[in-house]
Amino acid sequence: MKKTLVSALALGVAAGVGSQVMANPHNQHAEKSRSDLVEYFKAKHPERPFEDYIHGIYGYNAERKSQWEMQEEFPPYQDHVDQGKALFEKDIAAYQNCLVNADKGVNKIRTSYPYFNDKTQKVVTLEGDINRCRTEAGLKAFGWKRGDLAKVSGYLAYAARGEKINVVINSEGAKKAFEAGEREFAEPRGQLGLACASCHVYNASRQARSDILSPVLGHTTHFPVWRGKWNDLGTLHRRYEGCHKNMRHEAFKVQGDEYRNLEFFSAYMSNGLEVNGPSYRQ
Amino acid sequence: MINSKLKQALAALTVSAALVAAPVYASTDAAAAEALAKRVEEGKKLAFGRAEGNCLACHMMPGGTSPGNIGPALIAMKLRYPERQDLFDKLWGVKAKEVPYSMMPFFGRNGILSDDDINKIVDYLYTL
Ligand code: HEC
Ligand code: HEC
Repeated sequence: MKKTLVSALALGVAAGVGSQVMANPHNQHAEKSRSDLVEYFKAKHPERPFEDYIHGIYGYNAERKSQWEMQEEFPPYQDHVDQGKALFEKDIAAYQNCLVNADKGVNKIRTSYPYFNDKTQKVVTLEGDINRCRTEAGLKAFGWKRGDLAKVSGYLAYAARGEKINVVINSEGAKKAFEAGEREFAEPRGQLGLACASCHVYNASRQARSDILSPVLGHTTHFPVWRGKWNDLGTLHRRYEGCHKNMRHEAFKVQGDEYRNLEFFSAYMSNGLEVNGPSYRQ
Repeated sequence: MINSKLKQALAALTVSAALVAAPVYASTDAAAAEALAKRVEEGKKLAFGRAEGNCLACHMMPGGTSPGNIGPALIAMKLRYPERQDLFDKLWGVKAKEVPYSMMPFFGRNGILSDDDINKIVDYLYTL
């Protein structure tokens, strides 16, 4: 059985970065995977600072980075963020005592997710909780993937810019959810026999046709994203679906267990990075 | 980049490709050449098409636009794979030809392409 992401991939990079996270019996494996990954990317691209991994592919290509910076000056997602704010404030009563840390300020919500709920033994995502709060308050749930849900999620990410990702693993269930997500990420799947890691670890910075492959480190910091290809704001799970289709693998259910575990794993791997969503991607 | 031996081989291949394309009239050789030219054309389509081989996603191939750079450039294939079976096996995904942690799909083993399609791609690769 595979132990950590890095040993699963046989990357053979010396580990041992100091970690700020308090060690506990449940997060040892996850911390090893995370620090190995950080070290791996440090060895692969020594000139790229850790903080820059929130910028995905744009840390690999100066020309695309400058195009992207121009996009970000007149962000195509700004209207959606404004609409998300209005939607959030309209139903504030539903969210205020329901979303984690909403009482501490609107900027504290995004980084309270994803978390592992020991009662339900499931990973809870921000999008999942927005809809839970709505239904519990007697409101209609938003459709997944895009539209109002992406707008509210986009507003909460925007409000949390600069806050740091801080996913916690402190129970047996959380440990298992991380490991399930890690396996989904590291093992070959689908007809092409590719793993997420093939593209987003091993071949990060290389090109598939004209697409540069982003590093998994930082994958969750900037979601939801405004994608040029979608001409729309979309959630992380919408993106997962797309990658699964490219792998000729049947997409899992959006907000189902598999994608929630995958998000939990990816977000944990991005611990310590700043939230900078929503962001533009090509 | 390309050493002189490879260059010579490439030049030689260009000549033989030109021969294949040259108009020759009704003889069995000509019919065979025409059939091969058709297979090469079909192989090229399979190799470039996104829905089939999609080799360009990962490999530079002469004449292909915006190739990826995940795998090695596919050039001088006859020189590198003098045994046709070796090349076929590599594309098919025979275990012995597997490179650990490679992204190269097992086109035959995973049922992505038929053996005939793989053979057409091999015909095409031999013109590179
Ligand atoms: C065949 C290559 C390939 C595989 C395998 C693959 N992806 Fe991707 N992925 C891409 C490309 C190309 C993009 C768009 C460019 C980029 O990386 O941002 C992308 C984008 C993403 C993004 C958005 C990154 C950003 O900065 O906006 C996420 C998240 C992601 N993939 C997750 C996954 C997950 C999870 C899996 C496995 C279930 C996976 N990918 C498998 C090629 C792949
Ligand atoms: C998703 C990426 C990907 C795709 C698609 C892909 N390859 Fe590859 N290929 C690789 C990688 C990576 C290697 C190098 C490691 C190996 O040999 O497995 C490789 C190796 C090869 C080799 C051996 C090269 C050598 O120098 O010996 C050949 C031949 C080859 N590929 C042909 C093809 C053909 C033909 C197609 C399309 C029908 C194709 N590949 C599609 C990634 C890919």
